[in-house]
Amino acid sequence: MKLIFAAGLFGTATCAALAAAAPHAPAGDGAAPPVLVSRQLAAHAHLSTGDLVTLGSDPQGRRRATFRIAGIYEPTPDPMRFTATRLEARMHLPDLLDLVADPSDPASRESVSAINVRLANPADASAFAGDVAARAPGITARPASRARDDDPFAVLDRFHVAISAVTMAGGTAFLLALMVIRAEERRETVGILRLLGISRRTLLLTVAIEGVAIAALGAAFGILLAFATEGLVNRIFQARYDTALVFVRVTPSIAVRAVLIAAPLGIAAGIAASWTLLRREVLSIVRR
Amino acid sequence: MSALHLAWRTIRRYRAQTLLAIAGVAVIGALLFDMLLLSRGLLLSFADLLARAGYDVRIVGGGGMTLRMPIPDSRAIAEAVGGLPEVEKVALVRILPARLARPGEAQSASVALVGASGMTAGVWTIVQGADLDGASTEACPLIVGRSLAARLHIAPGDAVRVNAEQAGVASALPAVTCRVAGVGRFAFAAAGDDIVATTLDALHRASGEARDGDADLILVASRPEAGSAAAVAAIQRARPGLAAYSNDEVLEQFNRNGFAYFRQISLVLSSLTMVFAFLLVATLLTVSVNQRLGEIAALRAIGIARRRVAAMLLWESALLVGAGGLLALPLGELLALGLDRILRQMPALPEQLHFFVFEPRALVIHAAVLVVTALAAAAYPVWVTARMPIAATLRREIVG
Repeated sequence: MKLIFAAGLFGTATCAALAAAAPHAPAGDGAAPPVLVSRQLAAHAHLSTGDLVTLGSDPQGRRRATFRIAGIYEPTPDPMRFTATRLEARMHLPDLLDLVADPSDPASRESVSAINVRLANPADASAFAGDVAARAPGITARPASRARDDDPFAVLDRFHVAISAVTMAGGTAFLLALMVIRAEERRETVGILRLLGISRRTLLLTVAIEGVAIAALGAAFGILLAFATEGLVNRIFQARYDTALVFVRVTPSIAVRAVLIAAPLGIAAGIAASWTLLRREVLSIVRR
Repeated sequence: MSALHLAWRTIRRYRAQTLLAIAGVAVIGALLFDMLLLSRGLLLSFADLLARAGYDVRIVGGGGMTLRMPIPDSRAIAEAVGGLPEVEKVALVRILPARLARPGEAQSASVALVGASGMTAGVWTIVQGADLDGASTEACPLIVGRSLAARLHIAPGDAVRVNAEQAGVASALPAVTCRVAGVGRFAFAAAGDDIVATTLDALHRASGEARDGDADLILVASRPEAGSAAAVAAIQRARPGLAAYSNDEVLEQFNRNGFAYFRQISLVLSSLTMVFAFLLVATLLTVSVNQRLGEIAALRAIGIARRRVAAMLLWESALLVGAGGLLALPLGELLALGLDRILRQMPALPEQLHFFVFEPRALVIHAAVLVVTALAAAAYPVWVTARMPIAATLRREIVG
């Protein structure tokens, strides 16, 4: 028999000592209440369905009870806790109260850490919270969904947008430099076309069309690369943190946004670079 | 003419593309520099906050470092720990929810009431008035957080009413009158947190408990000659089963769990920016060399050695990446301020915690990464020019 500390026991207890019994059932085990253990805990403690385990509410194991593992579950991925090792167990609330309630305090069987309430109208959350506070002083009611301002993922979203903007700025500078080189490369051709009477506007339009084509191809390649690496990135992080959480997801809206940003940038860079050449007198273009 | 001089003349000749390339490297370099600051920024900032308190060992309750649970029998533990030869001083910290209001005003604010024994400096910084030990004659001196003081128009010397309450317990206790000794900034307070600190005795009186409540945290300062590891070992010998952690262990735990995301994202983004910078500089140099093949062939034809042409291209790459890399430092600092401001909007984050913290190590890695980028980016153009057939290239590029 080995003793393992479980990080969380669903219900009111936050820490428990878990003693995994041998797989064979002792006499009278049919009465053992069921418990579900997380996949991580099952792997960590080498448990499987049908095993008998002893759960205790203190590290010394003074208050404990035997449970039968009814199943192994995958914890709901929680982005707020993805770095935590999910050593968890779930059981019926009365079983947990039997385990953690203080026998000398009858009120302890009536205590829970939280009560989840589903409102008929979710928009009434604030009014309901105020009502609860007025009727039961000391009890705090708050909406389960976070306000946008209070959401750490909204902050991370802003951070990622800022990083993308900086990357785009760097990329644009390089794109401009490349387009300037390309424009310079075609100096002679442009000069001859101008001498033949082709207008600046037509040449700029040609460059713009070329810019759209290059930007669209680049964006398409980028999106394909993102799709191709999405699974790889997710697999690496899921293995690293032992979670089913999805870290990267390339959605159609992200792909559309990438194209909508890349295309105008490509056109603008192409036109800006060509304009440096086209605005000159035609004879200076052909170095005369 | 040296290779450096040749390179300098080339980049001066193609001014527009050089400036654009330097701007690109500067922006990408700034991002790389910021990712290096981010990789250990939280850890350094958190270590600074921990060290500022002046205590290097923490004893916590059953919930470990992440869940705050009372430590049973904490007074006796503090006395026992205080008597150990490895320990210099001990402080008890207890936190209760409370309501605070100005006398005669019905409206009150929900606050976290921190009762601390034997500790002041470091955990909060007095910005106005006096510290708790400067108001020792008061039965209930208070240090009020800046934002709360501004909101309730409270200043040192003002009297306030405080109702301490046990979490989840309805209380009809009368309020106690306290006097504001000072206004302070709390090291571990989040931007929206309203914190009020007082002595442990005053907190005990305000909560009206029959006996002293258990502390949530015991802070221990080890003797300098012993060190925190020895103090933790001595505490665990004296009270087996007690959860005592040195600051280094706390940092290690947070580094493993709490800060992992930012370490990972900084690693991913710095790798990506490095690849990005390499690809872009390499492309620019390659396109630029292709444009100048005739010129380079002519240089080779008049007797300039292959090695010198290669050195010229290396210098071109170094000048582009070097100038961009240097510009990246102030740009990166500015960018870091903006990104830090965004990330510090995270709820419940200590106001004085920073994500981007400068350390010399980041500068060294930044320089090393840019040197590698410059060398790698020049490799292909150097290879192209080194194996270039002089006569055929001249015929194709100049005569043709």
